[in-house]
Amino acid sequence: MEIHKNFENVRRLVSVRRWLAKIGNLSMILAYNTGGLALLFKDAIVVMFTTKLRWRATLDQMNKIGVMSLPLVFLTALFTGIVLSLQSAYQLRLFGAQQFTADLVSLSTVRELGPVLTAMVVAGRVGASIAAELGTMKVTEQIDALKALATNPVQYLVVPRVIAGFFMLFVLVIYADVIGMLGGYVISVFKLGMNSHQYIKRTIDVLRYKDVITGLIKAFFFGGIISTVGCYFGFNTTGGAEGVGRATTLAVVTALVLIIAFDALFTAIFFFF
Amino acid sequence: MIEIKGLHKWFGSNHVLRGVDLGIRDGETLVIIGRSGCGKSVLLKHMMGILEPDQGTVIIDGTDIFSLNFNELDQFRLKLGMLFQGAALFDSLTVCENVGFSLYEHTNMLEAEIREKVGVKLGLVGLSGKEDLMPSELSGGMKKRVGLARAICNEPNIILYDEPTTGLDPINADVINDLILHMQNQLKVTSVVVTHDMTSAYKVGDRIAMLYDGSIIGIGTPEEIKNTSNPVIRQFITGSAHGPITLQEESNSV
Repeated sequence: MEIHKNFENVRRLVSVRRWLAKIGNLSMILAYNTGGLALLFKDAIVVMFTTKLRWRATLDQMNKIGVMSLPLVFLTALFTGIVLSLQSAYQLRLFGAQQFTADLVSLSTVRELGPVLTAMVVAGRVGASIAAELGTMKVTEQIDALKALATNPVQYLVVPRVIAGFFMLFVLVIYADVIGMLGGYVISVFKLGMNSHQYIKRTIDVLRYKDVITGLIKAFFFGGIISTVGCYFGFNTTGGAEGVGRATTLAVVTALVLIIAFDALFTAIFFFF
Repeated sequence: MIEIKGLHKWFGSNHVLRGVDLGIRDGETLVIIGRSGCGKSVLLKHMMGILEPDQGTVIIDGTDIFSLNFNELDQFRLKLGMLFQGAALFDSLTVCENVGFSLYEHTNMLEAEIREKVGVKLGLVGLSGKEDLMPSELSGGMKKRVGLARAICNEPNIILYDEPTTGLDPINADVINDLILHMQNQLKVTSVVVTHDMTSAYKVGDRIAMLYDGSIIGIGTPEEIKNTSNPVIRQFITGSAHGPITLQEESNSV
């Protein structure tokens, strides 16, 4: 009996058909969710331009997504700037090129770290809260109730969040860029003994319009990704409190992966054009 | 007049509705009974157009609701009211904003007019003066009554009730039953009540239909249902653990 059971286990482990079935199943789930996300995003964009905007709800979401993320973004950007200046000064000192710390902090913050790190912390905070809120509405039938009261849930719930996501990430990244450079400045000038005027001049001179604009374009789309993913997993929640927990986790994980993936895509596009 | 024709619904591999045919006459109250998870709520949500059937259709007053486009369906839904199982009040809005939701959304009425109308509807369900409370401050029975006030706010021709008495104490349950009868007598609406509470079914129903194994297996007046010879219906209405319905069958059919 024991031997038979072991044999069964081994057979299951080496069964090619089983592995293929697993891969097939995962691919189906991936395709299903990719399609669902794309359709929700399309719906949101169509509804955004064809119906009246809910200003009050949108401003409310801008407050929740943008203003209330300020402390978190402040801390993240400040510490990133500090670490970035310390690490680069440590390396550049070997070549006697410490004054380039300013260039390095400025460029890497504006082009890459500002948008990506801001998007990541906001995805953790806002993506999770959107998924949990909409997920709870879904399992308590409030989304069905909206439909029953002749109101389009996409227009009522998704559009304000997506618009707020787009614009607030844009603004938050400008803020994060400034705070990140400030963090670099504080360490470089007060700790590493660099000249204040020179540091500021280098920070600004090294930046081209393209650097700033590409960073902000990324930010804009990351905002849309965070909101849309949160709404999508919220809308597809099933199965009570556990389902809401699962939706929240999935929303954050998916948003993080998509942010990194789209960052790579945008960086590649901007590199060649 | 609501006509349901050959309705099929799958959730994944789960075949929940297997060809439901049902006609509901104007002005009557039809009670749909059946075991938990047998698809009663799913059937109700098809009548509201919240779920789409995989096969078959629902025709309300001569209109096939699944042939309507998005905006037409929204307009059509205003003729219907629905009371959800857990009341489904929007918890970020006050009682007044909940009850008057469709007025705020779909009419140009002034705030004062809406409050007046909401006051009247809340009076009907015995909750005058509770306009400014939040849903979290209400008890289960009060939530159901606010949900009912919201469902009737637009003066619908048809009201759908999803397990209106489930989870309420017997007295609150009877209050809801009285309200359903009141709506019926006063507003002359067509009602569809989904429930597994037989006391409520006998009290409010003009006719009772039983949903079992994805289709309607019997329909008749409360008297006819009480005296039925169908063993499945007999077992259900008497609430016996012994008979043709077993737990095994439930796990197969659900």
